[in-house]
Amino acid sequence: MRSRLYSRPERPTSIVVKRALSSVCLAVGLIASTQALSQTAGGTMVMIAQPEPPSLAPYLSTSGPIGLVAPKIYNGLLDYDLDLNTVPELAESYTVSDDGLTVTFALREGVKWHDGEPFTSADVQFSIMDVLKQFHPRGPNSFREVSSIDTPDELTAVFNLDAPAPYMMRAFSAYESPIVPRHLLEGEDIRASDLANNPVGTGPFKFVEWKKGQYIRLDKNEDYWKEGLPLLDRIVARIIPDASTRTAAMESGEVHYGAFGAIPNIDVVRMRESDDIGVTTDGYAMINPMALIEMNTTKAPFDNPVMRQAISMAIDRQFLIDNIWFGYGKPATSAMTSNFEPLGLYSATPEFYPESPDVDAANALLDEAGITADAEGTRASAVVDLIPYGEDWRRAGEYMKQALADIGVDLELRYEDVPTWLKRIYADYDFELNVNYFYQLPDPVIGVQRHYGTDQIRQGTPFVNSTRYSNSDIDELLAAGAIEVDPTARGEIYAQIQAILGEELPVVNLFEMEFLTVYNEKLKDHTVSAMGAYHSFDRAYIEE
Amino acid sequence: MSQAGKRSRYVLKRLLHAIPVVLAIIVVNFFLLQLAEGDAVDVLAGEAGSATPEYMAQLREKFGLDQPLPVQLGVYMKNMLSFDLGYSFRHDMPVSQLVLDRLVPTLLLMVSTITLAVGFGIILGLVAASNLNTWKDNVISIFALISYATPLFWVGLMMIVVFSLKLRWFPTSGMENVAMFYEGWDRVKDIAHHLVMPTLTLSLFYLALYTRFMRASMLEQASMDYVTTARAKGLTERRIVFVHILRNALLPVVTMAGVQVGSLIGGSVIVESVFAWPGLGMLAFEALFSRDLNLLLGIFLLSALLVVAINLVVDLLYSFLDPRIEVG
Repeated sequence: MRSRLYSRPERPTSIVVKRALSSVCLAVGLIASTQALSQTAGGTMVMIAQPEPPSLAPYLSTSGPIGLVAPKIYNGLLDYDLDLNTVPELAESYTVSDDGLTVTFALREGVKWHDGEPFTSADVQFSIMDVLKQFHPRGPNSFREVSSIDTPDELTAVFNLDAPAPYMMRAFSAYESPIVPRHLLEGEDIRASDLANNPVGTGPFKFVEWKKGQYIRLDKNEDYWKEGLPLLDRIVARIIPDASTRTAAMESGEVHYGAFGAIPNIDVVRMRESDDIGVTTDGYAMINPMALIEMNTTKAPFDNPVMRQAISMAIDRQFLIDNIWFGYGKPATSAMTSNFEPLGLYSATPEFYPESPDVDAANALLDEAGITADAEGTRASAVVDLIPYGEDWRRAGEYMKQALADIGVDLELRYEDVPTWLKRIYADYDFELNVNYFYQLPDPVIGVQRHYGTDQIRQGTPFVNSTRYSNSDIDELLAAGAIEVDPTARGEIYAQIQAILGEELPVVNLFEMEFLTVYNEKLKDHTVSAMGAYHSFDRAYIEE
Repeated sequence: MSQAGKRSRYVLKRLLHAIPVVLAIIVVNFFLLQLAEGDAVDVLAGEAGSATPEYMAQLREKFGLDQPLPVQLGVYMKNMLSFDLGYSFRHDMPVSQLVLDRLVPTLLLMVSTITLAVGFGIILGLVAASNLNTWKDNVISIFALISYATPLFWVGLMMIVVFSLKLRWFPTSGMENVAMFYEGWDRVKDIAHHLVMPTLTLSLFYLALYTRFMRASMLEQASMDYVTTARAKGLTERRIVFVHILRNALLPVVTMAGVQVGSLIGGSVIVESVFAWPGLGMLAFEALFSRDLNLLLGIFLLSALLVVAINLVVDLLYSFLDPRIEVG
């Protein structure tokens, strides 16, 4: 049955999301979550959290391991199902005004924080304005148009916007924008609050204990606002540093769930044959990871677009996917992921993203541009930095050394530890090529813009525009795309952006990554949302 | 002066000597760690996905990383003198609490490993030396050679494959069963059950070392004049081996054990990682990669104290093993 899960399912364009985004003077009723509760309740689910989260403060950090644990404790206003439809959570429904400048949320009644205090619209106002907009890594961007939030009564929150913000409606999940308790944070130093290590939310599971280096234990919230949920009695997130041991623990049944490549692809290929273990690539539609090469556009010869085009043409993307990532991935065809297609934002730029590599054409391009080879056939020498997140990236570097030798680019590989690498790329700009991956996230405003905007050249800030590419046309288009509410017009703006970036290529995208979730077949209903592993798991259950 | 008085004066003197040693260790470690590129803020910001330069500057100010190095060192030393190991900004917890939480698992693993390795090492070395060049000696020597030469991580993984996945005798990893959360005696048994494979793996290497060392030491002592004398006196071979040779042969082994306790903390990183054992080694390893210098310095300090203390114990042990050695 597992073969069904490998292929990326085609997702129908979601009517609800499109309507919400176009926000044409109608109140968008949200789909009520109705479901039969025939599943077996009880039991402990053990999941892998790797590496150990630095804290449990999802309002301060979007670090992956925090996202695995915190959305079980905190709720968001909305959730997104596997087809990217909006699903109500703390907000029962919302309306967007004609001009797109007012968004009104009707909040759920009778929701209580884990400490017994009632949840009200004041919590929403405080969470967005005083916490997420101030301290969250992406919050200032997601909520940049929100000037104020009115709370006419305890169950209504009115967002007042300076300009329409269609992308904002996709940032209300528990992972991206958790609603936090005002009564525990107000007047405190948000960054130093004890809440980071002792989270109190409204979610299906309550924080019990964190044994550093061992596990985080969450127990069922008996007063959860969803009737009859959660089904599990307990979730334990275990920290297992060694990848082979994680695989063994999964095989022995000690852990039930490992997402974000916790089990390496090389082991998955073997394990997927087992009847007890399942594999899926679902649940990453809001993340959209993209493997890529950042090119330092201030250093010759990579300041020349032709050089960048030639590199893009010489790389066999399918080879990387098949041989290093064991078939999980999809060759990149543009500056943006094809997962934006349901939103109408994606368009392919095949000229310099060829289906199969074209070394001759690449060499011809370079010859034409006057980037000639010396006696040994070398046109340029460069050091390529490799993201220090595992062996796969080293292998990718080894492949690139060989592939780019064919167009006369002599590469030397460099693999450093995380702090050294981050400082080199984003603080010192002391690099030529950098193999990396970025999350393109649910909307290009949130995930793609930070790569290319001139205002995103922010020395010392990781994972922004490190190539120092600056193009006023792109800046204008990005600004226009952010506030355009008409989906068709928005699609056209992003088509122009992709056309320009498809030629300029400050970043050469390699492939759309497919992260793997490996699970014990006894565990059911774990991947029920576009948030995947970052979901609350309130419906997950263990079948004995 | 009485023997006991002499001994306590000796201990006091050694403890006083330890103070400058420990201080020097702190200072050297502090500057050594500064050589690493990047700081804790870089790592935190990198993990968070993105951060504004203002936010990063604020963090540096909060962590005190914007101060000149001598000031940072001064602050650290001042805290140290009031027994405050500082604060781990990454874990948002006092260093002392983090380190103490990991100390119990580390000591469990260390004590069981040392006991097993030294105990069996001595026995095997003794058996091998008393049966020189027989099959027993050969089997033991080959066993020691193989276990000395096998990489620890491989032994660990093979143990998991054989004893956890195939035979299902032991859990693959961790310190306790997190699906059950046992209490009382059941918990003790559960932890002991989890301790078996990490201990076996880690002791295998040291066991081989002590076996070879003990064998060589026994053989060396056996050729000494006092052994000939003892034999001439008509003592039984049994008494010669156990009372005369063994005690003398133990001295270098005990010295070695004392030296190696320190390296056990570091050397157990691999075993802690493979078996997800929540010890200090892993904590130090992670602290290094997240540039959590306060935490790292705290761990270094603790292991320095441990080594100093154990060496003192070993020196005292000498005088018990060989009364000719006097402390003072």
